[in-house]
Amino acid sequence: MSQAFFLILFVFLLVESRLPQDIYLDYSITLTAEQDIDLDYPVKLFFQLNPLIWITSLISGHQWIKGFGWALGIIALTFFSGKVFCGFICPFGTIHHMVSYIRPALKKQSMIYANQKHPSQRFKYFLLILFLVAAMLGLNLTGLLDPIAFLFRSLALAVFPGLGTGIKELFDLAAQSDIKTLNYISYGGEVLVSPVFGYGYKAFKSAWFIGILFLVILFLNRIRPRFWCRTLCPLGALLGVFARFSILRLEKHTEKCTECKLCLESCQGAASPVPGQEWEATECMFCFNCFNACPENAIAFKLGWLPSVSKRPDMGRRAVLGGLVAGISFPFLGRLDGRVHKVSDACLVRPPGSLPEKDFLKLCQRCGLCMKVCPTNAINPALTEAGMAGFWTPNLIMTQGYCEYTCTLCGSVCPTGAIYEFSVKEKIESPIKIGSAYIDRGRCLPWSGNGPCIVCEEHCPTSPKAIRLSEGPVPLPEGKEASAKLPYMDLKICVGCGICEYKCPVRGRPAIRVMAAGESRSLKNQILLKA
Amino acid sequence: MNCHPITRRESIKKLLKISGGFALTGVMTWPFQKPLSARAGSINQNFIIEGIGQSNEYSVKTLTRKVFEAAGGIRQFISKQDVVVIKPNLSWARPPYLAATTNPEVLEAVVELCQEAGAKKVRIADHTIHDARRCFAITGAGMVAKRTGADLVFPRSSLMRNMKLQGHRLDVWPVFVPLVEADKVINLQVAKVHALSGLTLGMKNWIGAVGGRRSALHQDIHLTIVDLAQFFNPTLTLIDATRIMIANGPSGGSSSDVTVLNRLILSDDPVAADAKAAGFFDFRPQDIGFIRLGHRWGIGTYEFQKLRQHKVII
Repeated sequence: MSQAFFLILFVFLLVESRLPQDIYLDYSITLTAEQDIDLDYPVKLFFQLNPLIWITSLISGHQWIKGFGWALGIIALTFFSGKVFCGFICPFGTIHHMVSYIRPALKKQSMIYANQKHPSQRFKYFLLILFLVAAMLGLNLTGLLDPIAFLFRSLALAVFPGLGTGIKELFDLAAQSDIKTLNYISYGGEVLVSPVFGYGYKAFKSAWFIGILFLVILFLNRIRPRFWCRTLCPLGALLGVFARFSILRLEKHTEKCTECKLCLESCQGAASPVPGQEWEATECMFCFNCFNACPENAIAFKLGWLPSVSKRPDMGRRAVLGGLVAGISFPFLGRLDGRVHKVSDACLVRPPGSLPEKDFLKLCQRCGLCMKVCPTNAINPALTEAGMAGFWTPNLIMTQGYCEYTCTLCGSVCPTGAIYEFSVKEKIESPIKIGSAYIDRGRCLPWSGNGPCIVCEEHCPTSPKAIRLSEGPVPLPEGKEASAKLPYMDLKICVGCGICEYKCPVRGRPAIRVMAAGESRSLKNQILLKA
Repeated sequence: MNCHPITRRESIKKLLKISGGFALTGVMTWPFQKPLSARAGSINQNFIIEGIGQSNEYSVKTLTRKVFEAAGGIRQFISKQDVVVIKPNLSWARPPYLAATTNPEVLEAVVELCQEAGAKKVRIADHTIHDARRCFAITGAGMVAKRTGADLVFPRSSLMRNMKLQGHRLDVWPVFVPLVEADKVINLQVAKVHALSGLTLGMKNWIGAVGGRRSALHQDIHLTIVDLAQFFNPTLTLIDATRIMIANGPSGGSSSDVTVLNRLILSDDPVAADAKAAGFFDFRPQDIGFIRLGHRWGIGTYEFQKLRQHKVII
């Protein structure tokens, strides 16, 4: 019940991470001022519930991020009753639960065998230590495998857009039909479906990879139930460390046990529920399956107020040392490409309000919230632009969308403040620059003598415009000379929003392009002496 | 049960009766149908109304209503059970005070007038440049739709359909379908400056009624505007010059780009409406390419002085 509730809540908040559907603003307000459009629901909730994200952000970013009181509550809950988060709240856990147990791949003996504790379960501690140590050294990789970030990214960037694309193709087919009824069905269907799946076709670079990874992780449940939770989940590992002190404990009555192993067959966490073995408090997800399965009442969950602690988490020396070594190496390996210290990739345009690159990598969880919420679909997960350290961090692709001048959504959803919360006023008046545009005169229509255009100037949102026109002579392809309105950039004014690149009629590689140089978050990555 | 087949004679009689009935109703209603088409009259009967709000506290909505009254009332143009589509300019996600988009108060008044005339459906449709949801919200069009119960039609790709425009420049181009399927279309444009076409006026509004590679239309902007104006051919053109954008057009972005004029122009001649509005920017009509071409190809006339003129001042 509670699992279903939290899974539905998670998906609901994921769907709500979009431009608000309420377009009925009272315009009497906007008659005189810019207005912020805010989201209706606390879409960051599950990230704020997440102690792993909180701790890694705290030790890497050295700051208390607003709204993470929830995570403290989860830690307190874990002290009281173990990893109930895994068994009752975690939406990713619920999905694994469903996949593993609704149609189990394993039967009886093989299930009992698969549910025995396995040394591979130490691997999650390796990951936990890696993430904690790396975070301490300024690289926050947590989001790559944090269950909430992983699930959000997979659903928001791969599963939902994938389904949406399929449905939209169907509707487009119906729309092209000559049968009127089909046209109406197509429009009506789109009206219903697009609030969920997004407006038009969504595209995310490397989403196929995100999707395949998600499928593989789900498939692993057939090899061993809740494979992810047992072997990979770093959040589970972190909660396991606290769960050791849990007051709620499994009590075993060895004398009643008939060794039927029904408890083990139903155990989700491979936590050795069979009497006679030592119970693994740090692995147990408190699903209470064993308790329900036992026909002899040989096991029961009891509150023990005694100041005793359960078995230490079985990390294994190799996992600890391996975690330490990897955790220390990764941040420095990640900086070896020089993108933080020497020169960043020209195409790495970050969302407005992003922190300086070094601080950004300390906080960004690569969760995909900003990418999901971006109304123009400009924000994409970076593949190579930000280097290894910035894999899947947000990157704006201006041929796919652009940064709308008065939109502030990405800043308002970022759970860790890697993109800080900014207002429309701040964005326009500071101004927050994300880069600057330059004109490729060889491709530009008027500059190359291929006809009038000015589309970039027309769309430029600043006032005065950053793209100006000047009448000048241009040589035509046939050798004659003509006069044309030629676009010029004013770098002092350009904010790098990219609408010029997006709307440029020159297909393929647009004749005006945005690069990160000039972004206000960096002191180094500048062009002009004084902006 | 009576199941003997109808004889040939009987069936012919019946058919004659039925078709005769139809023919008769057709003949009877014929005289009533004619005056419904507003643009059927010769060019001399076309009109141009200028509304001016002079008093300090005048209401934009009242001015809009008075302008329609001066044209003979909305019922002259909108019949009962009509599907009316209003095409405002909501291109930019800019608040109304920046004059980048149609004044929502004018829009609201026009929607209400159409509803009072008994229109079956009033739709507000625009293919915006910025994200449509943001545009509809920030320009106030969403609020108008909510208050009046008009439909907001979103520019979805499924509503863009290739059509034969048979223009001088454009042949087949994707068109925003609701505007074609309407009984009556009202063009409701805000007057702005534009770097390439000189001015953004009524006829240029039709660029917002097509899909496809719109940015490529700029390569022959005047001719494509005229092609589109000819294709869409609105029942009425209402130019919103309550405030106009005099610099940094067509997107603007600062209140210093805006001048308050408190004027409206209503005409059933799209070229004349634009020609008159060009005067607000100190342009001669023939200086604007698409007005000149529209005149030459008989979409209307830029000699608006020759039309039935009327001025409304409140």
